Amino acid sequence: MPQTLESLELREESASATEIDSPWVTLVWNDPVNLMSYVSYVFRSYFGFSHPEADKRMLQVHHDGKAVVATGSREQMEMHVEAMHDFGLWATLQKADA
Amino acid sequence: MIAFERGHDGAITAGFTGPEASLITSLAEQIAGMLDPFAAPPEIDDPDAAALYASVGLGGSSRLSDDPAIARLLPNAYADDEAAADFRGLTERSLASRKVANARVVVQSLRVSDVTAGVVVLSEEEAQSWLRTLADVRLTIAARLGIKTDDDEGADDDSSLALRDVYDWLAWVTESLIDAIES
Repeated sequence: MPQTLESLELREESASATEIDSPWVTLVWNDPVNLMSYVSYVFRSYFGFSHPEADKRMLQVHHDGKAVVATGSREQMEMHVEAMHDFGLWATLQKADA
Repeated sequence: MIAFERGHDGAITAGFTGPEASLITSLAEQIAGMLDPFAAPPEIDDPDAAALYASVGLGGSSRLSDDPAIARLLPNAYADDEAAADFRGLTERSLASRKVANARVVVQSLRVSDVTAGVVVLSEEEAQSWLRTLADVRLTIAARLGIKTDDDEGADDDSSLALRDVYDWLAWVTESLIDAIES
């Protein structure tokens, strides 16, 4: 059944192509200006994090200098970074393994 | 100032004195004025191309501004210079336009409040514009004061100290607004 084999090969190819395309991460960087309460609010209202989760990531930004706030496709991460820049947060995106 | 609060009708209100309202208006106008050139469409002779650029928000500059305040408000999205420049070219105009629009919402809401004894009444959407503009104003003041680290107080000459007072007051305004939005 050559047709079945062909479609299987295609599926494998598309699976590895998806892997190359992903994942990317959105990083938020510490800055001395934005209030801790504000950063936590942005994480809750935009990413939908619970209060404890938002506080955890906000404190990670504060103490470690940065935190990953989202993982996904490059296009999604670009959208998140733009949204963070709208809020005045300092955010960048990069390959997850970079 | 009377802190932001959510009324029974769901509206978010605050009370500003005349000087406070003038101050925030002036600061928001400065943000709009500073970023407007970055939001303006590029000068393109071909009207069809110009319309296309205008409609999709393309045509931003390709590099980070030398002005530390503008660099902070319109930052790089990538650590890699080339990727940052490409992304900036695609998105800077629309980011700057949204910031200018937010600042103008703030100015407008304070203009309306002049006739109602200093009381500002904000919709949910206007409150979001306020939050973002307050952040942009504080980032700009911090850049002017040279605040670079968490413990940094910035410059300490007289005019800087006055600006520092405004900066701290706006932090209080921001927290009050967050509380009201979430209440």
